[in-house]
Order: sequence, then C-alpha cells, then structure tokens
Amino acid sequence: MPMTIDTEHVAGSPQIAVISLIGELDASNFELLVANVRQAYDDGARGLVLELTELTFMASSGLVALYSAVRIMRGEAPPDPEAGWGALHEMAEDHDPDAAPAVRLAGLQPPVDRVLERTGLKRLFDSRPTRADAIESIQGT
Amino acid sequence: MVVSGAATRTLRIPAEVARMGELRAFVRSSADAAGLAPAAVADLVQAVDEAATNIIVHGYEGTAGEILAHARRRNGRMEVRLIDWCRPFDPTAVPEPDLSIPPLERKPGGMGVHLMRAGADAVHHRVRPDGGNELTIVRVIDRQPGED
Repeated sequence: MPMTIDTEHVAGSPQIAVISLIGELDASNFELLVANVRQAYDDGARGLVLELTELTFMASSGLVALYSAVRIMRGEAPPDPEAGWGALHEMAEDHDPDAAPAVRLAGLQPPVDRVLERTGLKRLFDSRPTRADAIESIQGT
Repeated sequence: MVVSGAATRTLRIPAEVARMGELRAFVRSSADAAGLAPAAVADLVQAVDEAATNIIVHGYEGTAGEILAHARRRNGRMEVRLIDWCRPFDPTAVPEPDLSIPPLERKPGGMGVHLMRAGADAVHHRVRPDGGNELTIVRVIDRQPGED
C-alpha cells in the first residue's frame, strides 16, 4: 500500500507543520518522509507534529525517519540513511527532555506503538493522544 | 501473482522494497484467513516485512532477484516461508540487541531482525541445496494477542 503524506502549516509561535502519514511507512518510502520534514523546516516550521492516526504499519526503517525528523527540526543535518542504527544510538545520547526539539507524535496506533516499545525507543519520542494535544503542547494555550 | 491451494498460498515478487506492501497484504490476508487475532496478524506482518527487507538489502544487495513466499496454516501454527536465490544470509545468526542497555551502547544493526524475532514464535533458516535461502517464520495461532 502506498503512503500518502499531507503537510499542513499551523500559524503561531512557533510555526508548526502537521505532517499526516496515511498508509504504511516502510523501506520504500521512509526517505520521502525525511524530504517532507526538510521541506517543512525550510518553509519556516520550527515545531512538528507527526499525525499517525492513519499509519497502519511502520517498519524499522521508519524509526530512522523519525530520528531524522528530530535532527532536522533541531536545524541539524539528517543522518545518512546508510548509517542506519548508528543514528538512533546517537539520538539516545542526545536525548535531554529539557532541550527536546518541538517534535510530537500524535495518534499512535497499536502496531506502530509496539514497534517503538519493542525497540526500546518509545521514551525518545514525545507522544500525545491527538493532534490538538500535540499542537497545544508546542505552542501553549 | 497469488496462487491459492487447499492449504498453501504462494506469492512471487521481485526483490524490491517497493513490493513489500504487496507482500504484507499477502501475509495479512493469509493470517486473517487462518484465524490469527488482529495483534498476532500485525506481529507476523511486521516479522515478514523485516525479514524480506533484509533479504533485499543484505542478501541481494540491490541486485535483481525474486522472493517467493508461501503461507500456510499447519498444526495450530501459521507459517510463512520466504525463499530467495541470493548469497547465504542467515538473519537468525544476527546477535539480539540487549534492550536493557541504553540504545547508544548497543551494537549497530539488528533492530529489524529484533522486530522479526519479536513478532514470531520461531524463525528457522536453511541454505537450500540448489543455492539461496529458505527462511520460515512461525506464529502460533492460539498465542494471546500482543503477548511477548
């Protein structure tokens, strides 16, 4: 099943991009997600909500895309996809909740949630039940 | 191409990551038909995706080839067998990452293989006499959904 990626910009401080993933995130399309996050950052977004309510599957390669999204929103270069897991190892060291970039996951579904749980990476990603919660947690009320 | 027999369903696809959606749909429909609970279906789909992606990336290494998948229910188990014609590659020999230690300190690699194992009750590999690999991924049908 192909994956559809929709990007919507939400005005405010900071400007937020809500990127909705519809379908299945796998080795064939994870780099497309990275490209979309890069475009959103270049368009001025400094907060990112990944809306995952309709993401029904995520392969391990999707985790590399999630980490790349965090790096891009920090203004850093995304890791070389060839570096694979080296990138995620680096992320764990970087992880500091006080300095966390404004990236949120919203609407995680059980199959995708299990991938994060089983790889021990769930704690590295700030997850909110809904898109509205995620936006509010970045921009405040 | 999907061939349905009385007990075994077969799918043959080019070894390309763009075809993994087709493979997942094949596993999903086979596992649904076999009576696996939804969470178990998701686990098996994950395991097969990670295994097949590994075959493409580490086995064929980007060269052209094919993957043949057989799915069948037997003795209360759902089995998906992946056959390829690439160099011998045994994912079950990849060391399991130790998730109790921080990700940074883990050895690189192995997450896809970890998800393959986590979603299955058993994984068997053998090198075929005519060359290539045969990987069998098993999920017990009465296993409790979501149970690790």
